[in-house]
Amino acid sequence: MKKKKDYIWILSILSIVIFAGIWWFCCDVLKLTNSSTLPGPATVVNTFIKKLSSSAPDGATLPAHIFSSLKISLGGWALGVIIGTPLGIFMAWYKKVDLFVRPIFDLLRPIPGLAWIPLMIILFGIGITPKIATVFLSAFVPCVLNSYTGIRQTKDVHLWVGQTFGADDTQMLVHIAIPTALPMIMTGVRVALGAAWTCIVAAEMLASTKGLGYMIQQARGIYRPDIIICGMIAIGAIGAVFSGILSLIENAIVKGVRRDG
Amino acid sequence: MVKKFNAKAKNYEKTICAMIAIAVFLCVWQIVVSFTKAGMVLAGPIETLKMFFVSIVKPVGTHTIEGHIVWSLSRVLVGFVIGSFAGIVLGILMGWFKPVSALFRPIFEILRPIPPIAWIPLSIVWFGLGEASKYFLIMYSAFCAVTMNAYSGVRSVDPELMGAAKMLGANNRQVFTTIVLPSCVPQIFAGLQIAVGTSWATVVAAEMVRSQEGVGWVIIKGQDSNSTVQILVGIVAIGIVGYILAVSMRAIEARLCRWSVRGK
Repeated sequence: MKKKKDYIWILSILSIVIFAGIWWFCCDVLKLTNSSTLPGPATVVNTFIKKLSSSAPDGATLPAHIFSSLKISLGGWALGVIIGTPLGIFMAWYKKVDLFVRPIFDLLRPIPGLAWIPLMIILFGIGITPKIATVFLSAFVPCVLNSYTGIRQTKDVHLWVGQTFGADDTQMLVHIAIPTALPMIMTGVRVALGAAWTCIVAAEMLASTKGLGYMIQQARGIYRPDIIICGMIAIGAIGAVFSGILSLIENAIVKGVRRDG
Repeated sequence: MVKKFNAKAKNYEKTICAMIAIAVFLCVWQIVVSFTKAGMVLAGPIETLKMFFVSIVKPVGTHTIEGHIVWSLSRVLVGFVIGSFAGIVLGILMGWFKPVSALFRPIFEILRPIPPIAWIPLSIVWFGLGEASKYFLIMYSAFCAVTMNAYSGVRSVDPELMGAAKMLGANNRQVFTTIVLPSCVPQIFAGLQIAVGTSWATVVAAEMVRSQEGVGWVIIKGQDSNSTVQILVGIVAIGIVGYILAVSMRAIEARLCRWSVRGK
Protein backbone atom coordinates (compact mmCIF):
# COMPACT_ATOMS: atom_id res chain seq x y z
CA MET A 1 0.00 0.00 0.00
CA LYS A 2 2.84 2.39 0.81
CA LYS A 3 4.21 2.01 -2.68
CA LYS A 4 0.93 3.16 -4.19
CA LYS A 5 0.87 6.35 -2.12
CA ASP A 6 4.43 7.26 -3.03
CA TYR A 7 3.64 6.72 -6.66
CA ILE A 8 0.82 9.23 -6.56
CA TRP A 9 2.91 11.91 -4.88
CA ILE A 10 5.64 11.53 -7.42
CA LEU A 11 3.09 11.94 -10.19
CA SER A 12 2.09 15.34 -8.82
CA ILE A 13 5.59 16.66 -8.57
CA LEU A 14 6.38 15.12 -11.94
CA SER A 15 3.49 16.93 -13.55
CA ILE A 16 4.66 20.34 -12.36
CA VAL A 17 8.22 19.58 -13.39
CA ILE A 18 7.12 18.31 -16.80
CA PHE A 19 4.89 21.30 -17.36
CA ALA A 20 7.61 23.77 -16.40
CA GLY A 21 10.14 21.74 -18.35
CA ILE A 22 8.08 21.74 -21.52
CA TRP A 23 7.50 25.46 -21.16
CA TRP A 24 11.21 26.14 -20.66
CA PHE A 25 12.21 23.81 -23.41
CA CYS A 26 9.85 25.20 -26.00
CA CYS A 27 10.43 28.82 -25.25
CA ASP A 28 13.90 29.37 -23.94
CA VAL A 29 15.76 26.57 -25.66
CA LEU A 30 14.03 25.88 -28.93
CA LYS A 31 12.58 29.37 -29.19
CA LEU A 32 9.46 27.92 -30.75
CA THR A 33 7.59 31.08 -29.96
CA ASN A 34 9.12 34.49 -30.06
CA SER A 35 9.30 36.27 -26.77
CA SER A 36 6.59 38.71 -27.67
CA THR A 37 4.04 35.94 -27.69
CA LEU A 38 5.10 33.52 -25.03
CA PRO A 39 8.26 34.05 -23.06
CA GLY A 40 9.98 31.16 -21.36
CA PRO A 41 10.19 30.80 -17.60
CA ALA A 42 13.79 31.99 -17.50
CA THR A 43 12.78 35.23 -19.20
CA VAL A 44 9.88 35.66 -16.82
CA VAL A 45 12.04 35.16 -13.74
CA ASN A 46 14.58 37.57 -15.17
CA THR A 47 11.95 40.23 -15.77
CA PHE A 48 10.49 39.65 -12.34
CA ILE A 49 13.79 40.34 -10.64
CA LYS A 50 14.42 43.37 -12.80
CA LYS A 51 10.98 44.80 -12.18
CA LEU A 52 11.49 44.64 -8.47
CA SER A 53 13.66 47.69 -8.74
CA SER A 54 13.19 49.21 -12.17
CA SER A 55 10.50 51.68 -13.13
CA ALA A 56 10.65 50.97 -16.82
CA PRO A 57 8.64 50.66 -18.93
CA ASP A 58 5.44 51.72 -17.24
CA GLY A 59 6.50 54.21 -14.65
CA ALA A 60 6.70 52.33 -11.38
CA THR A 61 8.46 49.40 -9.80
CA LEU A 62 6.67 46.15 -9.08
CA PRO A 63 6.45 46.78 -5.32
CA ALA A 64 4.99 50.22 -6.01
CA HIS A 65 2.30 48.69 -8.21
CA ILE A 66 1.56 46.03 -5.65
CA PHE A 67 1.29 48.61 -2.90
CA SER A 68 -1.07 50.75 -4.92
CA SER A 69 -3.37 47.83 -5.68
CA LEU A 70 -3.25 46.58 -2.12
CA LYS A 71 -4.11 49.98 -0.70
CA ILE A 72 -7.25 50.40 -2.73
CA SER A 73 -8.47 46.84 -2.61
CA LEU A 74 -8.03 46.49 1.14
CA GLY A 75 -9.64 49.88 1.73
CA GLY A 76 -12.68 49.08 -0.38
CA TRP A 77 -12.91 45.60 1.08
CA ALA A 78 -12.81 46.87 4.67
CA LEU A 79 -15.59 49.34 3.87
CA GLY A 80 -17.61 46.57 2.30
CA VAL A 81 -17.21 44.31 5.32
CA ILE A 82 -17.96 47.06 7.83
CA ILE A 83 -21.12 48.16 6.05
CA GLY A 84 -22.21 44.90 4.48
CA THR A 85 -21.99 42.49 7.40
CA PRO A 86 -24.17 44.50 9.81
CA LEU A 87 -26.60 45.19 6.99
CA GLY A 88 -26.91 41.49 6.27
CA ILE A 89 -27.39 40.76 9.95
CA PHE A 90 -30.11 43.36 10.32
CA MET A 91 -31.82 42.23 7.15
CA ALA A 92 -31.95 38.69 8.43
CA TRP A 93 -33.01 39.54 11.97
CA TYR A 94 -35.58 42.28 11.50
CA LYS A 95 -38.25 41.30 9.07
CA LYS A 96 -39.22 44.88 8.34
CA VAL A 97 -35.72 45.70 7.21
CA ASP A 98 -35.70 42.63 5.04
CA LEU A 99 -38.97 43.46 3.34
CA PHE A 100 -37.78 46.89 2.27
CA VAL A 101 -34.08 46.49 1.66
CA ARG A 102 -34.05 43.11 -0.01
CA PRO A 103 -35.79 44.12 -3.27
CA ILE A 104 -33.32 46.92 -3.88
CA PHE A 105 -30.45 44.61 -3.06
CA ASP A 106 -31.76 41.97 -5.45
CA LEU A 107 -32.01 44.62 -8.15
CA LEU A 108 -28.38 45.63 -7.75
CA ARG A 109 -26.98 42.19 -7.16
CA PRO A 110 -26.72 40.82 -10.73
CA ILE A 111 -24.65 43.79 -11.84
CA PRO A 112 -20.98 42.84 -11.77
CA GLY A 113 -18.95 45.24 -9.66
CA LEU A 114 -16.79 46.23 -12.59
CA ALA A 115 -19.75 47.60 -14.55
CA TRP A 116 -20.02 50.45 -12.05
CA ILE A 117 -16.61 51.87 -12.88
CA PRO A 118 -17.58 54.24 -15.70
CA LEU A 119 -20.41 55.65 -13.63
CA MET A 120 -18.15 56.13 -10.64
CA ILE A 121 -15.54 57.82 -12.77
CA ILE A 122 -18.05 60.31 -14.11
CA LEU A 123 -19.36 60.96 -10.64
CA PHE A 124 -16.07 61.14 -8.77
CA GLY A 125 -13.48 61.89 -11.40
CA ILE A 126 -10.27 60.00 -11.92
CA GLY A 127 -8.46 59.12 -8.76
CA ILE A 128 -8.84 56.78 -5.85
CA THR A 129 -12.48 57.44 -5.00
CA PRO A 130 -14.17 55.73 -7.97
CA LYS A 131 -11.98 52.69 -7.54
CA ILE A 132 -12.66 52.40 -3.83
CA ALA A 133 -16.36 52.87 -4.49
CA THR A 134 -16.36 50.06 -7.06
CA VAL A 135 -14.29 47.71 -4.91
CA PHE A 136 -16.66 48.50 -2.06
CA LEU A 137 -19.63 47.45 -4.18
CA SER A 138 -17.92 44.20 -5.18
CA ALA A 139 -17.02 43.30 -1.62
CA PHE A 140 -20.33 44.48 -0.21
CA VAL A 141 -22.55 41.92 -1.96
CA PRO A 142 -20.92 38.70 -0.70
CA CYS A 143 -20.74 40.10 2.84
CA VAL A 144 -24.43 40.89 2.92
CA LEU A 145 -25.44 37.60 1.34
CA ASN A 146 -23.33 35.45 3.62
CA SER A 147 -24.21 37.21 6.87
CA TYR A 148 -27.86 37.05 5.85
CA THR A 149 -27.67 33.31 5.21
CA GLY A 150 -25.64 32.80 8.37
CA ILE A 151 -28.18 34.47 10.61
CA ARG A 152 -31.05 32.67 8.90
CA GLN A 153 -29.40 29.39 9.81
CA THR A 154 -29.90 29.98 13.50
CA LYS A 155 -31.82 27.10 14.91
CA ASP A 156 -35.20 27.89 16.40
CA VAL A 157 -34.43 25.56 19.27
CA HIS A 158 -31.49 27.69 20.32
CA LEU A 159 -33.63 30.80 20.23
CA TRP A 160 -36.30 29.14 22.31
CA VAL A 161 -33.72 28.14 24.88
CA GLY A 162 -32.61 31.74 25.03
CA GLN A 163 -36.14 32.92 25.52
CA THR A 164 -36.74 30.37 28.22
CA PHE A 165 -33.82 31.88 30.07
CA GLY A 166 -35.31 35.33 29.72
CA ALA A 167 -33.24 36.78 26.90
CA ASP A 168 -34.73 39.70 25.05
CA ASP A 169 -34.51 40.28 21.32
CA THR A 170 -31.15 42.04 21.29
CA GLN A 171 -29.56 39.52 23.60
CA MET A 172 -30.75 36.70 21.39
CA LEU A 173 -29.24 38.44 18.41
CA VAL A 174 -25.91 39.07 20.04
CA HIS A 175 -25.47 35.88 21.99
CA ILE A 176 -27.16 33.29 19.84
CA ALA A 177 -27.66 34.38 16.26
CA ILE A 178 -24.39 36.11 15.59
CA PRO A 179 -22.12 33.39 16.98
CA THR A 180 -24.08 30.83 14.94
CA ALA A 181 -23.60 32.94 11.86
CA LEU A 182 -19.92 33.60 12.42
CA PRO A 183 -18.58 30.78 10.18
CA MET A 184 -20.71 31.95 7.28
CA ILE A 185 -19.82 35.56 7.93
CA MET A 186 -16.14 34.65 7.76
CA THR A 187 -16.74 32.81 4.50
CA GLY A 188 -18.44 35.92 3.18
CA VAL A 189 -15.50 38.04 4.28
CA ARG A 190 -13.15 35.69 2.46
CA VAL A 191 -15.22 35.66 -0.73
CA ALA A 192 -15.45 39.44 -0.51
CA LEU A 193 -11.69 39.77 -0.37
CA GLY A 194 -11.34 37.62 -3.46
CA ALA A 195 -13.98 39.67 -5.23
CA ALA A 196 -12.35 42.93 -4.15
CA TRP A 197 -8.96 41.79 -5.39
CA THR A 198 -10.36 40.71 -8.77
CA CYS A 199 -12.27 43.97 -9.03
CA ILE A 200 -9.28 46.18 -8.37
CA VAL A 201 -7.22 44.37 -11.00
CA ALA A 202 -9.98 44.88 -13.55
CA ALA A 203 -10.58 48.47 -12.50
CA GLU A 204 -6.92 49.27 -12.89
CA MET A 205 -6.97 47.91 -16.42
CA LEU A 206 -9.54 50.52 -17.26
CA ALA A 207 -8.80 53.60 -15.28
CA SER A 208 -5.56 53.92 -13.48
CA THR A 209 -1.96 54.98 -13.70
CA LYS A 210 -0.59 52.57 -11.14
CA GLY A 211 -1.29 49.14 -9.88
CA LEU A 212 -0.98 45.56 -11.07
CA GLY A 213 -3.92 45.73 -13.46
CA TYR A 214 -2.48 48.86 -15.04
CA MET A 215 0.91 47.19 -15.29
CA ILE A 216 -0.33 44.18 -17.21
CA GLN A 217 -2.54 46.29 -19.44
CA GLN A 218 0.37 48.55 -20.36
CA ALA A 219 2.58 45.55 -20.93
CA ARG A 220 0.07 44.28 -23.46
CA GLY A 221 0.23 47.51 -25.38
CA ILE A 222 3.99 47.28 -25.77
CA TYR A 223 4.01 43.55 -26.40
CA ARG A 224 5.83 42.48 -23.25
CA PRO A 225 4.05 39.28 -22.20
CA ASP A 226 6.86 38.58 -19.77
CA ILE A 227 5.72 41.55 -17.69
CA ILE A 228 2.15 40.34 -18.07
CA ILE A 229 3.06 36.94 -16.70
CA CYS A 230 4.99 38.50 -13.82
CA GLY A 231 1.96 40.57 -13.04
CA MET A 232 -0.33 37.56 -13.18
CA ILE A 233 1.94 35.63 -10.87
CA ALA A 234 1.98 38.55 -8.43
CA ILE A 235 -1.80 38.80 -8.62
CA GLY A 236 -2.22 35.10 -8.00
CA ALA A 237 0.33 34.99 -5.20
CA ILE A 238 -1.23 37.89 -3.32
CA GLY A 239 -4.69 36.42 -3.77
CA ALA A 240 -3.45 33.12 -2.33
CA VAL A 241 -1.76 34.89 0.58
CA PHE A 242 -4.98 36.76 1.39
CA SER A 243 -6.90 33.52 1.35
CA GLY A 244 -4.36 31.82 3.57
CA ILE A 245 -4.28 34.61 6.15
CA LEU A 246 -8.04 34.71 6.37
CA SER A 247 -8.19 30.94 6.74
CA LEU A 248 -5.74 31.12 9.61
CA ILE A 249 -7.78 33.81 11.33
CA GLU A 250 -10.93 31.85 10.72
CA ASN A 251 -9.55 28.67 12.20
CA ALA A 252 -8.24 30.53 15.22
CA ILE A 253 -11.24 32.65 16.07
CA VAL A 254 -14.34 31.00 14.79
CA LYS A 255 -15.79 27.95 16.46
CA GLY A 256 -17.67 25.48 14.40
CA VAL A 257 -15.88 25.97 11.12
CA ARG A 258 -15.85 22.84 9.01
CA ARG A 259 -12.18 22.14 8.73
CA ASP A 260 -12.41 19.78 5.82
CA GLY A 261 -10.85 22.25 3.44
CA MET B 1 -44.02 35.97 21.78
CA VAL B 2 -41.89 33.35 20.15
CA LYS B 3 -39.91 34.84 17.34
CA LYS B 4 -41.16 33.05 14.28
CA PHE B 5 -37.89 33.02 12.53
CA ASN B 6 -38.69 31.15 9.44
CA ALA B 7 -42.22 32.37 9.00
CA LYS B 8 -42.47 33.60 5.47
CA ALA B 9 -44.08 36.97 5.03
CA LYS B 10 -47.26 36.60 3.13
CA ASN B 11 -46.67 36.91 -0.56
CA TYR B 12 -48.70 40.04 -1.11
CA GLU B 13 -46.97 41.68 1.82
CA LYS B 14 -43.64 40.93 0.23
CA THR B 15 -44.66 42.26 -3.17
CA ILE B 16 -46.18 45.45 -1.77
CA CYS B 17 -43.12 46.23 0.29
CA ALA B 18 -40.91 45.46 -2.69
CA MET B 19 -42.87 47.87 -4.84
CA ILE B 20 -42.75 50.57 -2.17
CA ALA B 21 -39.01 50.07 -1.70
CA ILE B 22 -38.30 50.29 -5.41
CA ALA B 23 -40.56 53.30 -5.80
CA VAL B 24 -38.77 55.07 -2.96
CA PHE B 25 -35.42 54.20 -4.52
CA LEU B 26 -36.47 55.65 -7.87
CA CYS B 27 -37.88 58.78 -6.25
CA VAL B 28 -34.73 59.39 -4.25
CA TRP B 29 -32.71 58.90 -7.43
CA GLN B 30 -34.87 61.36 -9.32
CA ILE B 31 -34.68 63.89 -6.48
CA VAL B 32 -30.90 63.62 -6.32
CA VAL B 33 -30.72 64.20 -10.04
CA SER B 34 -33.12 67.13 -10.14
CA PHE B 35 -32.04 69.02 -7.08
CA THR B 36 -28.39 68.42 -6.35
CA LYS B 37 -25.10 69.06 -8.05
CA ALA B 38 -24.79 65.39 -8.92
CA GLY B 39 -27.70 65.94 -11.26
CA MET B 40 -25.43 67.82 -13.60
CA VAL B 41 -23.68 64.61 -14.49
CA LEU B 42 -26.04 61.90 -13.37
CA ALA B 43 -29.14 60.98 -15.34
CA GLY B 44 -32.44 60.27 -13.67
CA PRO B 45 -34.53 57.12 -13.82
CA ILE B 46 -37.06 58.55 -16.24
CA GLU B 47 -34.38 59.65 -18.66
CA THR B 48 -32.64 56.32 -18.37
CA LEU B 49 -35.78 54.31 -19.00
CA LYS B 50 -36.67 56.49 -21.96
CA MET B 51 -33.21 56.04 -23.44
CA PHE B 52 -33.40 52.32 -22.79
CA PHE B 53 -36.57 51.94 -24.78
CA VAL B 54 -35.26 54.23 -27.49
CA SER B 55 -32.16 52.08 -27.91
CA ILE B 56 -34.36 49.10 -28.57
CA VAL B 57 -35.04 50.61 -31.94
CA LYS B 58 -32.32 53.17 -32.43
CA PRO B 59 -28.81 51.70 -32.55
CA VAL B 60 -26.20 52.63 -29.98
CA GLY B 61 -23.03 52.57 -32.00
CA THR B 62 -23.39 49.69 -34.38
CA HIS B 63 -26.26 47.74 -32.86
CA THR B 64 -29.46 48.30 -30.95
CA ILE B 65 -29.36 47.46 -27.29
CA GLU B 66 -30.73 43.98 -27.85
CA GLY B 67 -28.13 43.53 -30.56
CA HIS B 68 -25.46 44.24 -27.98
CA ILE B 69 -27.12 41.92 -25.51
CA VAL B 70 -27.18 39.18 -28.13
CA TRP B 71 -23.49 39.71 -28.83
CA SER B 72 -22.56 39.46 -25.18
CA LEU B 73 -24.86 36.51 -24.58
CA SER B 74 -23.51 34.62 -27.58
CA ARG B 75 -19.98 34.99 -26.26
CA VAL B 76 -21.07 33.81 -22.85
CA LEU B 77 -23.03 30.85 -24.19
CA VAL B 78 -20.28 29.56 -26.45
CA GLY B 79 -17.60 29.90 -23.80
CA PHE B 80 -19.79 28.70 -20.97
CA VAL B 81 -21.01 25.56 -22.73
CA ILE B 82 -17.58 24.50 -23.90
CA GLY B 83 -15.82 25.49 -20.69
CA SER B 84 -18.28 23.85 -18.34
CA PHE B 85 -18.48 20.69 -20.42
CA ALA B 86 -14.68 20.38 -20.35
CA GLY B 87 -14.69 21.23 -16.66
CA ILE B 88 -17.30 18.64 -15.79
CA VAL B 89 -15.51 15.94 -17.73
CA LEU B 90 -12.12 16.74 -16.24
CA GLY B 91 -13.53 17.17 -12.75
CA ILE B 92 -15.30 13.83 -12.82
CA LEU B 93 -12.25 12.09 -14.23
CA MET B 94 -10.10 13.73 -11.59
CA GLY B 95 -12.46 12.59 -8.88
CA TRP B 96 -12.73 9.04 -10.07
CA PHE B 97 -9.19 8.24 -11.17
CA LYS B 98 -6.52 9.12 -8.66
CA PRO B 99 -3.67 9.42 -11.19
CA VAL B 100 -5.62 11.98 -13.20
CA SER B 101 -6.15 14.02 -10.08
CA ALA B 102 -2.50 13.74 -9.09
CA LEU B 103 -1.53 14.88 -12.55
CA PHE B 104 -3.78 17.89 -12.91
CA ARG B 105 -4.42 19.09 -9.41
CA PRO B 106 -1.06 20.83 -8.85
CA ILE B 107 -1.41 22.84 -12.04
CA PHE B 108 -4.91 23.71 -11.00
CA GLU B 109 -3.91 24.89 -7.56
CA ILE B 110 -1.24 27.10 -9.09
CA LEU B 111 -3.58 28.65 -11.63
CA ARG B 112 -6.57 28.95 -9.33
CA PRO B 113 -5.69 32.14 -7.43
CA ILE B 114 -5.27 34.05 -10.67
CA PRO B 115 -8.66 35.61 -11.47
CA PRO B 116 -9.88 35.10 -15.06
CA ILE B 117 -9.86 38.86 -15.55
CA ALA B 118 -6.10 38.90 -15.09
CA TRP B 119 -5.89 36.74 -18.20
CA ILE B 120 -7.41 39.45 -20.39
CA PRO B 121 -4.15 41.09 -21.52
CA LEU B 122 -2.45 37.74 -22.15
CA SER B 123 -5.40 36.39 -24.07
CA ILE B 124 -5.45 39.49 -26.25
CA VAL B 125 -1.73 39.07 -26.94
CA TRP B 126 -2.29 35.44 -27.88
CA PHE B 127 -5.59 35.58 -29.70
CA GLY B 128 -5.85 39.11 -30.95
CA LEU B 129 -8.64 41.57 -30.48
CA GLY B 130 -11.44 39.47 -31.92
CA GLU B 131 -13.87 36.91 -30.66
CA ALA B 132 -11.30 34.17 -30.01
CA SER B 133 -9.81 35.96 -27.02
CA LYS B 134 -13.22 36.48 -25.46
CA TYR B 135 -14.23 32.87 -26.02
CA PHE B 136 -10.99 31.79 -24.41
CA LEU B 137 -11.59 33.97 -21.35
CA ILE B 138 -15.12 32.77 -20.80
CA MET B 139 -14.17 29.14 -21.38
CA TYR B 140 -11.43 29.58 -18.82
CA SER B 141 -13.73 31.15 -16.19
CA ALA B 142 -16.42 28.53 -16.63
CA PHE B 143 -13.87 25.73 -16.66
CA CYS B 144 -12.24 26.83 -13.40
CA ALA B 145 -15.52 27.33 -11.60
CA VAL B 146 -16.93 23.96 -12.61
CA THR B 147 -13.96 21.61 -12.38
CA MET B 148 -13.34 21.81 -8.66
CA ASN B 149 -17.04 21.43 -7.95
CA ALA B 150 -17.32 18.36 -10.16
CA TYR B 151 -14.21 16.98 -8.49
CA SER B 152 -15.55 17.43 -4.98
CA GLY B 153 -18.94 16.18 -6.11
CA VAL B 154 -17.44 12.88 -7.13
CA ARG B 155 -15.22 12.70 -4.05
CA SER B 156 -18.11 13.27 -1.68
CA VAL B 157 -20.27 10.40 -2.88
CA ASP B 158 -21.36 8.40 0.11
CA PRO B 159 -18.98 5.44 0.32
CA GLU B 160 -21.71 3.39 1.92
CA LEU B 161 -23.79 3.67 -1.21
CA MET B 162 -20.89 2.53 -3.33
CA GLY B 163 -20.17 -0.31 -0.97
CA ALA B 164 -23.79 -1.41 -1.03
CA ALA B 165 -23.82 -1.42 -4.80
CA LYS B 166 -20.66 -3.46 -4.97
CA MET B 167 -22.12 -5.96 -2.55
CA LEU B 168 -25.08 -6.32 -4.84
CA GLY B 169 -22.68 -7.24 -7.62
CA ALA B 170 -22.12 -4.02 -9.49
CA ASN B 171 -18.79 -3.66 -11.20
CA ASN B 172 -16.83 -0.41 -11.17
CA ARG B 173 -18.40 0.97 -14.33
CA GLN B 174 -21.91 0.34 -13.06
CA VAL B 175 -21.13 1.98 -9.74
CA PHE B 176 -19.85 4.95 -11.67
CA THR B 177 -22.83 5.40 -13.95
CA THR B 178 -25.63 4.57 -11.55
CA ILE B 179 -24.40 6.07 -8.30
CA VAL B 180 -21.52 8.45 -8.70
CA LEU B 181 -22.75 10.37 -11.72
CA PRO B 182 -26.28 11.10 -10.45
CA SER B 183 -25.15 11.99 -6.97
CA CYS B 184 -22.66 14.60 -8.06
CA VAL B 185 -25.21 16.45 -10.16
CA PRO B 186 -26.29 18.90 -7.40
CA GLN B 187 -22.70 19.80 -6.69
CA ILE B 188 -22.04 20.28 -10.39
CA PHE B 189 -25.04 22.56 -10.62
CA ALA B 190 -23.74 24.64 -7.77
CA GLY B 191 -20.55 25.03 -9.78
CA LEU B 192 -22.54 25.87 -12.92
CA GLN B 193 -24.37 28.65 -11.13
CA ILE B 194 -21.14 30.19 -9.97
CA ALA B 195 -19.75 29.72 -13.48
CA VAL B 196 -22.68 31.58 -15.04
CA GLY B 197 -22.16 34.52 -12.72
CA THR B 198 -18.42 34.58 -13.23
CA SER B 199 -18.74 34.18 -17.00
CA TRP B 200 -21.18 37.08 -17.24
CA ALA B 201 -18.89 39.29 -15.16
CA THR B 202 -15.88 38.22 -17.23
CA VAL B 203 -17.57 38.95 -20.56
CA VAL B 204 -18.55 42.42 -19.33
CA ALA B 205 -14.98 43.04 -18.19
CA ALA B 206 -13.49 41.74 -21.44
CA GLU B 207 -15.82 43.94 -23.45
CA MET B 208 -14.99 46.95 -21.34
CA VAL B 209 -11.31 46.43 -21.95
CA ARG B 210 -11.37 45.83 -25.65
CA SER B 211 -14.25 45.25 -27.98
CA GLN B 212 -16.44 46.72 -30.66
CA GLU B 213 -19.84 45.66 -29.45
CA GLY B 214 -21.58 44.15 -26.49
CA VAL B 215 -23.03 45.56 -23.28
CA GLY B 216 -19.60 46.22 -21.79
CA TRP B 217 -18.74 48.27 -24.83
CA VAL B 218 -21.95 50.29 -24.40
CA ILE B 219 -20.87 51.32 -20.93
CA ILE B 220 -17.34 52.26 -21.91
CA LYS B 221 -18.59 54.24 -24.91
CA GLY B 222 -20.91 56.05 -22.59
CA GLN B 223 -18.00 56.97 -20.40
CA ASP B 224 -15.98 58.15 -23.37
CA SER B 225 -18.76 60.42 -24.58
CA ASN B 226 -19.55 61.51 -21.03
CA SER B 227 -23.09 60.28 -21.38
CA THR B 228 -24.30 58.91 -18.06
CA VAL B 229 -27.56 57.95 -19.71
CA GLN B 230 -25.79 55.50 -21.92
CA ILE B 231 -23.82 54.11 -19.01
CA LEU B 232 -26.98 53.63 -17.02
CA VAL B 233 -28.75 52.00 -19.95
CA GLY B 234 -25.84 49.60 -20.20
CA ILE B 235 -25.94 48.88 -16.48
CA VAL B 236 -29.67 48.20 -16.66
CA ALA B 237 -29.14 45.83 -19.57
CA ILE B 238 -26.32 44.04 -17.75
CA GLY B 239 -28.39 43.74 -14.60
CA ILE B 240 -31.44 42.39 -16.40
CA VAL B 241 -29.52 39.78 -18.35
CA GLY B 242 -27.48 38.79 -15.31
CA TYR B 243 -30.66 38.34 -13.36
CA ILE B 244 -32.30 36.26 -16.08
CA LEU B 245 -29.24 34.06 -16.36
CA ALA B 246 -29.15 33.42 -12.62
CA VAL B 247 -32.86 32.71 -12.41
CA SER B 248 -32.78 30.38 -15.42
CA MET B 249 -29.88 28.46 -13.95
CA ARG B 250 -31.76 28.05 -10.70
CA ALA B 251 -34.91 26.94 -12.53
CA ILE B 252 -33.00 24.33 -14.53
CA GLU B 253 -31.38 23.07 -11.38
CA ALA B 254 -34.70 22.85 -9.57
CA ARG B 255 -36.04 20.79 -12.42
CA LEU B 256 -33.13 18.41 -12.79
CA CYS B 257 -32.34 18.06 -9.11
CA ARG B 258 -35.86 17.73 -7.85
CA TRP B 259 -34.88 14.77 -5.78
CA SER B 260 -32.18 16.63 -3.91
CA VAL B 261 -33.22 19.21 -1.37
CA ARG B 262 -30.32 21.60 -1.15
CA GLY B 263 -31.56 23.48 1.81
CA LYS B 264 -33.02 26.30 -0.27
